[in-house]
Amino acid sequence: MARSNAAGKKGNKKAAGKKSNDKKSVKEKFTEMLELPKDLVLDRPKLTLVGNRDMLIENYKSVLEYDTGVLRINTGTGMIRITGSGLSIREITSDDMVVSGSVRSVEFIDAG
Amino acid sequence: MKFLLFRLWNYLRGYVIIIVEGFFLEKFINICARRGIRLWDVRLQAERRVTAKTGISGFRLIRPVARKTGCRVRLLKKRGLPFVFSKYRRRKAFFAGAVLFFILLNVLASFVWCIEITGNEKLDRVFLENALAANGIRTGVLKYRIDTRRAVDRMMLDVGRLSWISISIRGTKVKVEVREREDLPEIVPRHIPCDIVAQRDGIIRQVIAKEGIETVSEGDTVKKGQVLISGRVPVKGGEQHRLVHAMGTVMARTWYEGEAQVEPERAETVRTGRVIRDHSLVLFSKELDLIRKRVGFSEYVSEESRKKLTIGDDLVFPFEWVTVSHYEVVNLQASISEEDARETAAREAYKKALGRVPDGAEIMRENIYFTEQDGKLTAKAVLECIENIGRPIRIGGN
Repeated sequence: MARSNAAGKKGNKKAAGKKSNDKKSVKEKFTEMLELPKDLVLDRPKLTLVGNRDMLIENYKSVLEYDTGVLRINTGTGMIRITGSGLSIREITSDDMVVSGSVRSVEFIDAG
Repeated sequence: MKFLLFRLWNYLRGYVIIIVEGFFLEKFINICARRGIRLWDVRLQAERRVTAKTGISGFRLIRPVARKTGCRVRLLKKRGLPFVFSKYRRRKAFFAGAVLFFILLNVLASFVWCIEITGNEKLDRVFLENALAANGIRTGVLKYRIDTRRAVDRMMLDVGRLSWISISIRGTKVKVEVREREDLPEIVPRHIPCDIVAQRDGIIRQVIAKEGIETVSEGDTVKKGQVLISGRVPVKGGEQHRLVHAMGTVMARTWYEGEAQVEPERAETVRTGRVIRDHSLVLFSKELDLIRKRVGFSEYVSEESRKKLTIGDDLVFPFEWVTVSHYEVVNLQASISEEDARETAAREAYKKALGRVPDGAEIMRENIYFTEQDGKLTAKAVLECIENIGRPIRIGGN
């Protein structure tokens, strides 16, 4: 299961890479070769969304903006902008946070 | 489930609800997160004002962060067990009471307060209780002192009429279960000559002699004490007898009767509904009267109900609440229909007859009839049984 997922991601990345003419870093190639968890090695955020109610964000860097309607979070690969209504931070530690409320959109702004 | 556990954990650890006001709330949250101050339920209340929850240790670290980011932190509420405790910390008597309660509970629970005896049919309860008390099992004894295994052995020897006994301690209760032994039939030793003698009157149905000479045959009417199988075996061609130990079974039809008079009237005591209750409290073994009223009824019946203080089934405490209810009664002579009267009498007669049937007898036929004498009707129940009436009796002895 994990393997097929990783392969799928790889394919997507390649397609995206061709379009934007962006080359993969050596580090990324290396982690793909060894099938290491990318979120840890490459410092990428891992988002888990349960319906549109609860969102677990692992590996974030900092909270940039917090309002009931907008939540902007800085991560290792750029900024994530979550919009919705009644957003609250249910739990926050140095590595991960749980956001609850009704989420309308999740955007990746200037992600590499 | 996970969140429930989480909340329980937070409650046990204690937490505070704070209000943070300031322009750089995000910065405040970020620094808190980085310094390992766990925040949860961060909710925006108004523009630039947020409520959040944090642990007790986290709250101590939060002031410098607030100063650094220019936020104002106010404590809104304290929640959790540590705060509950600190509230009661000064109330020494309360804590002493709580501790005393648990000590008392433990002390009381280490004594025996109740003895429950089950399985005894013929043996008297008081007799068994006395026997148990002689072996150190009585109410008020420290339960750790009781050696149940030794007590079981002693009881088997002391009482003598038990086939099995089990003693177990459950809570403050000693459960004693017994099985009684059937009375042993009289045994004449094998080498001593004997006759088989009728134990009671009856009509012989079948005689099977394994040893000895049959002196009765099928259809004979025998009286109690009559020799059925003789141990005197005549020697051929002589007047002399050889004495043997007679053995065998003699099945006979026997009858058992019971009588009861048919009463056309029945004395009935009817409660008038007026009642006076006395209450008393039994502490250990001392009875304290709490409420005792004068009973002004001319005739009354009293009922006693005892309630023991127990926790669960087995943890019995030596406190008992006794209520004695005195019900006023009037005696009425109620006449009943003849049919009912006959039925009641018949039932009673049957019960009496059944009580006379010995163990081992098989009831073959039941008859109930009514006889009239001096204008009084009597119900008679006759039970026809088949049983072994033979009993070995030593020759020359009694």
